[in-house]
Amino acid sequence: MSKLVIENLSRIFPAVHGGPAVTALQPTNLSIGDNDFVTILGPSGCGKSTLLRMVAGLDRPTTGTIMLDGRRITAPGPDRGMVFQSYTLFPWLTISQNIAFGLTEKGMNAAEAKEIVASYIDKVGLRGFENHWPKQLSGGMQQRTAIARALANNPAILLLDEPFGALDNQTRALMQELLLGIWEREKKTVLFVTHDIEEAIFIASRCLVMSARPGRIKADLSINLPYPRHYTLKTSPEFSDLKARLTEEIRAEAVLAAAH
Amino acid sequence: MRPLEPISNPARIGLGIGFFILFFAGWGLATLGGFVPKIFLADPISMVRDGWRLLMQFGFGYEILITIWRVVGGFVLAAIVAVPLGILMGAYKPVEAFFEPFVSFARYLPASAFVPLLILWAGLGETQKLLVIFIGSVFQIILMVAVDVGNTRRDLVEAAYTLGAGDGGVVRRVLIPMNAPEIAEILRLVLGWAWTYVIVAELIGSSAGIGHMIIDSQALMATGQIIFGIIVIGVIGLVSDFLFKLVNRRLFPWRLA
Repeated sequence: MSKLVIENLSRIFPAVHGGPAVTALQPTNLSIGDNDFVTILGPSGCGKSTLLRMVAGLDRPTTGTIMLDGRRITAPGPDRGMVFQSYTLFPWLTISQNIAFGLTEKGMNAAEAKEIVASYIDKVGLRGFENHWPKQLSGGMQQRTAIARALANNPAILLLDEPFGALDNQTRALMQELLLGIWEREKKTVLFVTHDIEEAIFIASRCLVMSARPGRIKADLSINLPYPRHYTLKTSPEFSDLKARLTEEIRAEAVLAAAH
Repeated sequence: MRPLEPISNPARIGLGIGFFILFFAGWGLATLGGFVPKIFLADPISMVRDGWRLLMQFGFGYEILITIWRVVGGFVLAAIVAVPLGILMGAYKPVEAFFEPFVSFARYLPASAFVPLLILWAGLGETQKLLVIFIGSVFQIILMVAVDVGNTRRDLVEAAYTLGAGDGGVVRRVLIPMNAPEIAEILRLVLGWAWTYVIVAELIGSSAGIGHMIIDSQALMATGQIIFGIIVIGVIGLVSDFLFKLVNRRLFPWRLA
């Protein structure tokens, strides 16, 4: 069954200061199944973030509709948890309070919220840091908190906008395994935007490749690699084949994007 | 000494005190050494003696309290009006569009020029003194708070929306707590300016307060007393600044983490 249905969705940014209007996303149709882990791969400026932001309700489509569980999306809501590339923990709240933000907003009682927060603290491996301020944590730990904060709300879909983009390579690899582990255990529908090919394959059950601006989906691949996935998978022949194929797809687009 | 290189705490305090010593030494040399006539500038020793006499015999302590009450009273009134309005202007652009041009204009109206008008309206009582401080502070606070709240990081606001916060929730749970330390800092700054207005208000048509003492002393050519009054204001400013910083540090521990 389709969880998220996108029909004829496009976004044109109007002209500013006499410049031309920019088509960020060409009319796009897309349907995402329940519990799918979908990565959207594309060169920078291809409109992949715009697509994700429209699903989050943070940006308005020029045309088309987005339906989640049969309901039309018009504004942001707690049914769509989001993790941003920039560190967006609230600096005046402790790690626990950050994770509890959405629960407090729902009006959940403190005892119940505390239990949920504690379970997510464990899931993202931050026990002992509950009462730290975000500033005191490394980038990787902050993004783990951000994932926990989004998941604690129990959203219907989890949206991630290059969440590991600012992290170093080693941390990034660990974060991919952590996120994948959580998804394998809890099953969630996930939409994950990235420009990293390896990342897009490793964590995904399905990978969408976007073209250079104006953006559109130019390839749609099922990633049929076995679960549970281990980091050694990245050196397997199947993985290399997929990587080679996606590298070709993306390279053509990157060349186009650079020429603009 | 290298650019931006930090120094140790004892060195910092020592250097800070050092300038005070240098200042008073220079002043003492100029006056006690006979380079400046006594009627223009009292020497530090007679300044301290005059000040002591003021405090002990003429009840100057009461005058100081009167002045502090005026500053704090007018300032608190201004903050009560300005902080909420500034937050609303920062958060809601139509509110900002409505008030901002007028507030920007009113900010440049010199509070001291209102003194004669306020005497006509409110008489010579406390209301007039409080109003001078109020007019001098309120527009500054509104504008600075509005700019600060308006510059809140967009991504934090967006994160709050995706976590289920509504518009009111974003103001209450993001814009206000995020900007609270800056708002406290703005209040600290404007309180300093309020001190200059209170003296102006007290120079004209006042029967009490530090400013009143200063104008009386001028008639008596008592430069020692004038300087003592000015120094008292400086010391109070320093103390209130210090207290403000202390309270901020307690209230916003996350800033220091």
